[in-house]
Amino acid sequence: MNIHHNRETAYLTFGLAHRLTRVRGNSNITSRGFSSYHLLLFIVLTLIALLIVFTTDAYAESSTQHTSPHDATQGTLLFRSSEGLSYSPAPTVETNAHISITGLISRTIVRQTFQNPGPGWTEGIYVFPLPETAAVDHLRMHIGDRVIEGIIQERAQAKQTYSTAKREGKRTSLIEQERPNMFTASVANIGPHETIMVEIEYQETVRYERETFSLRFPMVVGPRYIPGTPVTSDESLTAPTRLSDGHGWATNTHQVPDASRITPPVQHPNQKQLNPITLTIDLAPGFPLAKLASTYHDIHHISNNTTQHQITLQEGNVPADRDFELIWEAEQEHTPKMTVFSEHFRDETYMMLMLMPPSHMFADHVALPRDVTFVIDTSGSMHGSSIEQAKLALQLALTRLTEQDRFNVIQFNHVTEALFSSSQPVTTTAIQQATLYVKDLHAEGGTEMLPALTQAFVQHDPTTYIRQVVFITDGQIGNEQQLFKAIQNDLADTRLFTIGIGSAPNSYFMRHAAKFGRGTFTYIGRIDEVQDKMNHLFHALEHPVLTDIDMTSTENSPGDITPDRIPDLYVGEPLMIAIRTEAGSEQLHIKGKIGSKVWEKSISLHDALQRRGIATYWARQKIMTLMDDDMKKQENSPLRQEIINVAMDHHLVSRYTSLVAVDVTPVRSSDQTLAPHAIKTNLPHGQDYTAIFGLAAGGTSGPWHFTVGSILLLLAWASMRYHRSAS
Amino acid sequence: MNMPSRLLFWIMLPLWFLGIGHTGYGVWIFMKAELAQHLIERAWVQTQNEQRRIPPWPWADTWPIAKLRVPQHDIEMFVLSGASGRTLAFGPGHVSSSPLPGSIGTAIFNGHRDTHFAFLEHMQAGDTILIDDIYGQTTPFTIQDMQVVDARQSIIVQDESHAQLAFVTCYPFDAITPGGPLRYIVIGTHHASST
Repeated sequence: MNIHHNRETAYLTFGLAHRLTRVRGNSNITSRGFSSYHLLLFIVLTLIALLIVFTTDAYAESSTQHTSPHDATQGTLLFRSSEGLSYSPAPTVETNAHISITGLISRTIVRQTFQNPGPGWTEGIYVFPLPETAAVDHLRMHIGDRVIEGIIQERAQAKQTYSTAKREGKRTSLIEQERPNMFTASVANIGPHETIMVEIEYQETVRYERETFSLRFPMVVGPRYIPGTPVTSDESLTAPTRLSDGHGWATNTHQVPDASRITPPVQHPNQKQLNPITLTIDLAPGFPLAKLASTYHDIHHISNNTTQHQITLQEGNVPADRDFELIWEAEQEHTPKMTVFSEHFRDETYMMLMLMPPSHMFADHVALPRDVTFVIDTSGSMHGSSIEQAKLALQLALTRLTEQDRFNVIQFNHVTEALFSSSQPVTTTAIQQATLYVKDLHAEGGTEMLPALTQAFVQHDPTTYIRQVVFITDGQIGNEQQLFKAIQNDLADTRLFTIGIGSAPNSYFMRHAAKFGRGTFTYIGRIDEVQDKMNHLFHALEHPVLTDIDMTSTENSPGDITPDRIPDLYVGEPLMIAIRTEAGSEQLHIKGKIGSKVWEKSISLHDALQRRGIATYWARQKIMTLMDDDMKKQENSPLRQEIINVAMDHHLVSRYTSLVAVDVTPVRSSDQTLAPHAIKTNLPHGQDYTAIFGLAAGGTSGPWHFTVGSILLLLAWASMRYHRSAS
Repeated sequence: MNMPSRLLFWIMLPLWFLGIGHTGYGVWIFMKAELAQHLIERAWVQTQNEQRRIPPWPWADTWPIAKLRVPQHDIEMFVLSGASGRTLAFGPGHVSSSPLPGSIGTAIFNGHRDTHFAFLEHMQAGDTILIDDIYGQTTPFTIQDMQVVDARQSIIVQDESHAQLAFVTCYPFDAITPGGPLRYIVIGTHHASST
């Protein structure tokens, strides 16, 4: 109980009463005409008293901020303040994205306007997401009317170029890739009240699955869980990773050596949302549309004719707090089955092939008994709407199991817990037990994903069962590489299906995990999508798979084909390959099988349509394949050099290459200081700040009610006394 | 009765009601905080016997995970799982994104400054806090430091080199309205050798 508090309130009310009696004592109450005047005075005084109570409270809070001797002591040990050390205000960032989609290729120009609101010189460091397949190939820095084109350099060298220019007082900007779906834009020497616009251009491939085309534009990097022990200062002298080279809230750990670079400071949800985004899309699908929709935002849609569409956000600008998704479908008879594009680039021919295996291939089948392990993420970042979506998805999946199947449910946050010690046959009781278990799940805690994955893979049963792991998470972790390795090592015959949950999930992790796990990735962003999206997944889970896909060419050297090993295809998934040849292939022969049925197809590459961006597509695919291979190997493997070569040839940002732009003339003299600022990001929509960062408000409304109650009672008492003496 | 007097009566009446209502609600908040701990104590005994989650009342979405003792201040209370506003009304809550107290890393307990965590104001560096877990093990923590931080700009970093405990409550302790931006944080460290 708060004794102090009550004493203070009592003191205050006594003072008020004292004042009231004095007022009354001084005035001679004989005439009744004065009574209403006194009453008014009484009420006014009370209101003033109330006002004093609340303003002193506010004052107490703001004054302690300056006077507390504890403030910022040992701050580095346990706390990291999200603000920089300087007193100048952080620059603001506004983003404008223009997306042009032609068929399966999309090109986006992202303009980030850094504005310095203060009188000093600043540097803005902004961590932002891009689609995980984005091939970033241009950087332009706009200063007023002038445009400085960025050049591609090896990452360390680009960083050096940037640092030198920064020190010399030249305006400069740098784009680095932290993860395939996470980038950092740094802009230095933004002058007092000055604006610098950074223009980033990237290409990506439209997703085409189950006759639906989709494109995502992520807007915010969600707070990632960082497992591991912090790298200490002694170790950092020898280790390749430093203590903290980024400006994020996390320190680098042994498991996530770049944690400080991937954890941008998060704006508290009580403060206004930041980083507004405007979005325009030009869509030329190449066929008449049967459907066009945005999943999470309201849009304006204007069609110039049947083949040209323009889309804008209805609200103009939106805060960067969730992914944007556009989906479209072709009219039935126009649904593409196969497309071949080619581009001539530096004496070489690049090709892109999209081929949809006929759906009747998957049609008739005998359902084989399955052993399904459901793994559900119940960590803090899932708190709120995400866990509800996840639970609903899991409940639905439980209803689809049949008596010939086996199953188990595993939940994890910082601990892993399994419903059954090993997977159980499907019985009414077992399903009931599981349904209750899922109903009672709570989302709180850290995200220690590795033990849960390992456990899901370990449980082995008779091989007559098809082993499937369905993994439901938002993927907000920083140790992706570690997990990919575990999946590759432990997978065996199991197939891993990932379900991404939430408004801004780490889809790079989940799509890649599914790729390594030879399964599919399903994305659920809202509760009303659960049913629909889960039905698609059930299709994949319950239908056979097109396997052993192989390609032969009529030529002796078919060129460089990526991916080098073609993944298995689930129903509704197209075969996508990129080819680089010197001569230009004539014909491709594709072969695969579903169970015992064989599927064959010959494709003539002669009449491929010319299209820009195919070389970039090949390069991006190539880098991805090389990165996956590189992951298994040591630092400085020959693959690293190969990745750098491809990236440099095609002007692409990669893990090992960055784009940097430097203005010629210095603008900041060496006696003026430069204040670095990490740009804050919003918390993804629907996430709970306290569940993630754990600094909950720690006061009840009790004292407030006491104070108000006491004042009211006193008023009532005073007016009663007055009422008596007057009558 | 004449007119002003009657007017006064009608003003007085709601004042009484509102006054009693607010004061009563304030009392109820503190009573709830106090009473709930008794119910939780029963659940705790059962938790320690059966070593599983026992909600203190059938519809509760939380359960006791530890007993917190400060012999110096004669404090004994039960820490609940999770730190939602609903939970904190009944007892201090363990932020589940943090490890359990005694394991490596920083366990975070949240509590209300005017009820359960009012005692934090009197804690000094060097004081001892004892945490009993559900298996009956007791882990001692020594208070290292007290800090006032701005919740809008600070985050507790998980230092996984040793076992720590962070108590988080609102600051200042005698503020009247809840929800201010400042937090008072008391940090305790467990020294493995002292067990």
